[in-house]
Amino acid sequence: MRVLVIEDEPRLAENVARSLRESAGYAVDVAHDGQEGLFMAESNDYDAVLLDLMLPQMGGLQLLRRMRHAGQRAPVLVVTVRDEKESVVALLNAGADDYLTKPFDLGELLARTKALIRRGKGHPSPVLVVGDLELNTVDRSVRRGGRPISLTAMEYRVLEYLAHRPKAVVSKTELLEHLYDYNWEKFSNVIEVYISGLRRKLDDGSTHQLIHTLRGQGYILQD
Amino acid sequence: MDGINVADGGTNRSSIKRWLITIVVLSQTLLAAGLLVTGILYTRRQMLSTLDNHIQAHAMSVAALVRYTEAANGTLYFDGSLVPPSVDPSRPDWYAVWTEQSGLLTRSANWPAGFEIPLNGPDHWSFQRASIGYRGLRLFRVPVLDREEGSAFHPQTLTIVYASPTTRLDQQVQHSGFYIAISSLLLLAVTIPLALWGVRRGLLPLQELAERAALVSTQNWELRLPEDVQHVKELRPLTESMKTMLDRLRHSFDQQREFLGNSAHELKTPVAVLKSTLQSLLQRPRTLEEYRAGIEHSLEDLERLDQLLQWILRLARAEQWARGALRRDLEVIDITATCEDAIERIRPLADGRNTTVQLSKNGPVPFRADPDDLQLIWINLLENAVRYSPPGGSVEVAVSWGNTGGAQIIFEDHGAGIDPAHLPHIFERFYRGDPSRNRATGGFGLGLAIVKALVEAYGGMITADSTPGRGTRMTVVLPASR
Repeated sequence: MRVLVIEDEPRLAENVARSLRESAGYAVDVAHDGQEGLFMAESNDYDAVLLDLMLPQMGGLQLLRRMRHAGQRAPVLVVTVRDEKESVVALLNAGADDYLTKPFDLGELLARTKALIRRGKGHPSPVLVVGDLELNTVDRSVRRGGRPISLTAMEYRVLEYLAHRPKAVVSKTELLEHLYDYNWEKFSNVIEVYISGLRRKLDDGSTHQLIHTLRGQGYILQD
Repeated sequence: MDGINVADGGTNRSSIKRWLITIVVLSQTLLAAGLLVTGILYTRRQMLSTLDNHIQAHAMSVAALVRYTEAANGTLYFDGSLVPPSVDPSRPDWYAVWTEQSGLLTRSANWPAGFEIPLNGPDHWSFQRASIGYRGLRLFRVPVLDREEGSAFHPQTLTIVYASPTTRLDQQVQHSGFYIAISSLLLLAVTIPLALWGVRRGLLPLQELAERAALVSTQNWELRLPEDVQHVKELRPLTESMKTMLDRLRHSFDQQREFLGNSAHELKTPVAVLKSTLQSLLQRPRTLEEYRAGIEHSLEDLERLDQLLQWILRLARAEQWARGALRRDLEVIDITATCEDAIERIRPLADGRNTTVQLSKNGPVPFRADPDDLQLIWINLLENAVRYSPPGGSVEVAVSWGNTGGAQIIFEDHGAGIDPAHLPHIFERFYRGDPSRNRATGGFGLGLAIVKALVEAYGGMITADSTPGRGTRMTVVLPASR
């Protein structure tokens, strides 16, 4: 998953980004003002956007409206110091999906971000199920047929993305875009490595494979 | 009595109602007593005047009974057979007649022995005899009414004294006094309750006002007064001053609340930063270096939080002074000298940016103030001017006498100027031209708010003029020293 953090307070942005990377295994981009934030949100396909309201160059509310106007569908979690009813209503009406008031709890921020991503992809439950595969997004554990499978951090991130979009063809570029921050081009050859590692661990002791390759198009996760 | 609780509370408190009632009862009683006395005196005077007329008529009747004898030598005699009945039929009158020539002509049978007639004084007079009041009349030189017929006429004059007891008159005066007293008491019995009711009724709006005033709270500032209270002329000054007081209170309360809200709001971001740093440190085991870096960052953030708090407190104090909550002992100081001190203190910053600061002065300008306050104002304004000047630029400070007899201090820079959209707001607390908390300029958006509050605390005013691209001019005008 790839998340955009738009926050002008550098240390807060850094802490949030670090937490998302370490605890959720997301790729995180940081923008420090409204204009940069809007540019990044419009030029990349993010799985979630964390937006501070008080921003230089362009306010968060305006950014949000322009993002939605441009057809950006990524779920947006607004971080604000105001918790008056009117401003919350204005936020939700402008296209925000959730909000959090400062000073927030990092754990809560993580949980809300995960939930937003999940629901953005049409999954109400935090446990994703594909055939006999179970992926728990809360504690990041994976089981197949009740058997726990131990994955590396990168393998888990690939599988989590695929599990969020079961039965859909996911191109290698799409995977790269959502698993790495803006430097993703550098990593173009590693996807095959993770996929083969995943296949080996998932299909061990099973009669049929879960990850299928469509040559020239990408990968599909289905029973 | 369901009186006004406000005033009825204790025994030693003064009560308007009790006071009014005492006044009313006292004045009505006085009125009744006055009426009684005046009534009695007037009746007595009127009756005495009537009695005097009667006595006069009787005396003249007696005079008419003095006749000349046939002898035609001027000898007089008194025809006692025709003496008129006395004024009060049940009590005999006295009379006596003297002639010019032969002295006493006649006197009534009951004339008291040794009765001395006063020779001076008014014709009618009152006297006592054997504890009975009398009214007497003395007539001197009364011509004899009877005409003497004959060749030689010897006209004579008479002296007549007539007295009548005033017993009946005294009784009548007593009677009428009694009637006046009775009717006064009856009137009192009617008017006193009426007055009491009026007093209570008249004070009712006061009670209503108190009840309405009790409904005012920090949630509901409005003093709603019913029509009948609004129309009471005497309550107008009270209700007006209550309304102004409430307005002032509300304004001050709103300001405090706004200040508190603003401050809490401003504190949230640094707290969020600090909290996130510490939480992310705890999220997983860290290396010693990571912990050290995290603690150092937290300390930096705390430092900034501490600074923000100090600025907030400084502003709170300045605003408190501006509202006149605290009057301190102030000394007369020289504004020019405080400006020179401030320029010295800003020198390192100015030198670092290669900016020159010039002071144009015009001799000492005395002003009654706390030197620390003035320093704070000048340094804030100087810091802004230096910071917003381009490197190598210049800042001019001018101290002079203003038009109004007070001091005028101008700070002028030639920097980028202030956007006209921001200019009206720069003195608002926590206002920054940039909506973000821009660390580059290091400001919390409180410096100019503090300056304004302090300048206003001294009764002065501050204005900002700015042309984008040309620079900014801050003008402080202080009033003539009091």
